[in-house]
Amino acid sequence: MRLSRRQALSLLPGLALAPRAAGAQGGTTPAASPAGDLVFVLNSGEANILVLDAATREEKRRIPVLREVHHLVMTPDGSTLLVGDSGANEMLFLNPLTGELIKREPLSNPYHLGFSPDGRFLCITSLRRDQVDIYAWDGSALTLVKRHSLPDMPSHLAFRPDGKVVYVTLQGNNLLAAISLEGNFDHLWSMEIGPEPAGVMWNRGKLLVGIMGSDYIAVADPETQAVERRIVTARGAHALFWNLKGDTIYATSRVDSRITTIDPETLTVTRSLKVPGGPDDISFDPQGRLWVTQRWIAKVAVVDFEAGKVESIRAGRSPHGIFYASAQALRAPATN
Amino acid sequence: MIEALQDAWDAVAGWIFETLVQPALFAAGLMEWAEDAFDWIGFVMFGGLQVVVVYLICRPLEAWRPVEPREDGRSIRTDILYTMLTRLGLLPLIAFVVFASVQARISGMVAESGWIPPTLEMLFPVLREWPLLALLVYVVVIDFGEYWRHRFQHMFGWWWALHAIHHAQRQMTFWTDDRNHILDDMIGAVWTGGLALLIGVPPGQFPLIVILLRVAEALSHANVRLSFGRVGEWLVVSPRFHRLHHGVLGSGETGKNYAVIFPVWDWIFRTGDFRRDVFPRTGDPELPEDMATGGWLRQQWAGLRRMGAALVKAR
Ligand SMILES: [Zn+2]
Ligand SMILES: [Zn+2]
Repeated sequence: MRLSRRQALSLLPGLALAPRAAGAQGGTTPAASPAGDLVFVLNSGEANILVLDAATREEKRRIPVLREVHHLVMTPDGSTLLVGDSGANEMLFLNPLTGELIKREPLSNPYHLGFSPDGRFLCITSLRRDQVDIYAWDGSALTLVKRHSLPDMPSHLAFRPDGKVVYVTLQGNNLLAAISLEGNFDHLWSMEIGPEPAGVMWNRGKLLVGIMGSDYIAVADPETQAVERRIVTARGAHALFWNLKGDTIYATSRVDSRITTIDPETLTVTRSLKVPGGPDDISFDPQGRLWVTQRWIAKVAVVDFEAGKVESIRAGRSPHGIFYASAQALRAPATN
Repeated sequence: MIEALQDAWDAVAGWIFETLVQPALFAAGLMEWAEDAFDWIGFVMFGGLQVVVVYLICRPLEAWRPVEPREDGRSIRTDILYTMLTRLGLLPLIAFVVFASVQARISGMVAESGWIPPTLEMLFPVLREWPLLALLVYVVVIDFGEYWRHRFQHMFGWWWALHAIHHAQRQMTFWTDDRNHILDDMIGAVWTGGLALLIGVPPGQFPLIVILLRVAEALSHANVRLSFGRVGEWLVVSPRFHRLHHGVLGSGETGKNYAVIFPVWDWIFRTGDFRRDVFPRTGDPELPEDMATGGWLRQQWAGLRRMGAALVKAR
């Protein structure tokens, strides 16, 4: 099986915003991960990046960082992994195939981060500073273009598929804010969304928001700025992720330690699975398995959702961001 | 072996968080603080471990060669309370609640200004390759800052009013290390925070070093007739070195031996007394009895009153 570069890139979580068939799903029995695939785990509590060999699930190396790494994102061309070290005020640029460090750059408190779908902007939210930073990305360097002071506790972010608006949850005052990525990068609006909102995702013209202070995903219409619906998942609803095929939404819940699947068409819950230890970030492998950081128990879970199987691997203290680097997807030639 | 210990440690932290703390946060509508609360549990567990290690090392030494008899159990118990409040995270918790929003505002202003606070590793890139050395350089710089904070505690009347609580103890033991006024602790936190803006926060991945430093600080207060010898006395603050600072004649404005970990600062700034056979009585007869033998609350109140008086007098 060969993937085109375009298809291959859709395997990367940061780019999986626009659902698209990747055709990577195997048969019924999950095969072992392909040799050469790496999994990057950011151990926020012990200043290192754990690199796992996905096939053997053994530790390949630990990349020391200065202070505290939380989130990571792939560059739009799929060549470089950006890892924010918030405590050290620097951004690390890694080769996702080898884990080798390409360079580091001083940058103010990089915490949560995401590229706009057109790849022109990198947005960074800073929970502690009450700020949202917008950087322009020219393919190799970051330039700050706008810094918004946005209380209280800006947390996760999502983009409109046309790349013209970024939506940010404000955990401290229960708001969802919209910021333009055009013109003066104005703050467009804020709306009440629910207690302690966390993860946010664009789906078919609506915004889905994990309501951590409760047990549901709020469905909001950005046009009318009204909450239309509540999808009950489990207590401490947190982050939201697309699977690789783009036909299922996975939602984590921290208090009940569950992962719930949601049908993006009907917005109904299809399944729910207990994943202990406060499941936080998810990355998918080409077999469709979930690699999940178990924040409170210092482990990474490999989850076969269909079979309801959860296996844990030792990681490091307070593992947060995670990224499955599929060698095949990353090496695929650019055919279209 | 180390892995098994680490796994057990992580399992306990996870259990405490998931069964006790997180449900409470959820019920109280405080889930936005979940990550901080989790860090907190690590802090408290580590604080508990420090207390145990310090006790296991210092208590036998005090029993072996005490400078003076243990007569005043009550004021030792007060010092134990100070240690528990500081190490098991109650005072730092109050400081966190008080400072969290201030801290967010300051770091927001710093980011706004376009200035990216450096780390020592950024200033001296060679330290990147040697994280342990980096930590030691941090310890030296922070200790230098602590030396001067300590000098100022003795120099300014209002500050001495607070620090006097630390010096009022006549029955000094290794528990005395954390005997400080809350306000003084908070000033200390701001001091360290300011320093962190200039040189970064020290790396946190070497818990063993942190415990060693804790032991050194507690040991310097221990009731033990122990000096570190001709060379050692110049390297690390010993029980002998710091007891002299707590001596009846040493407190107030004409003190000696201000260093917290490295005596070299006292040598450089000519405040050192390196006589290896002097083990004076501690305390300060000029201070009110409340400060010496009163309970925790009484001491705190006395400190505040004296500070107020000192400020009024200074105007
Ligand atoms: Zn003193
Ligand atoms: Zn002392």
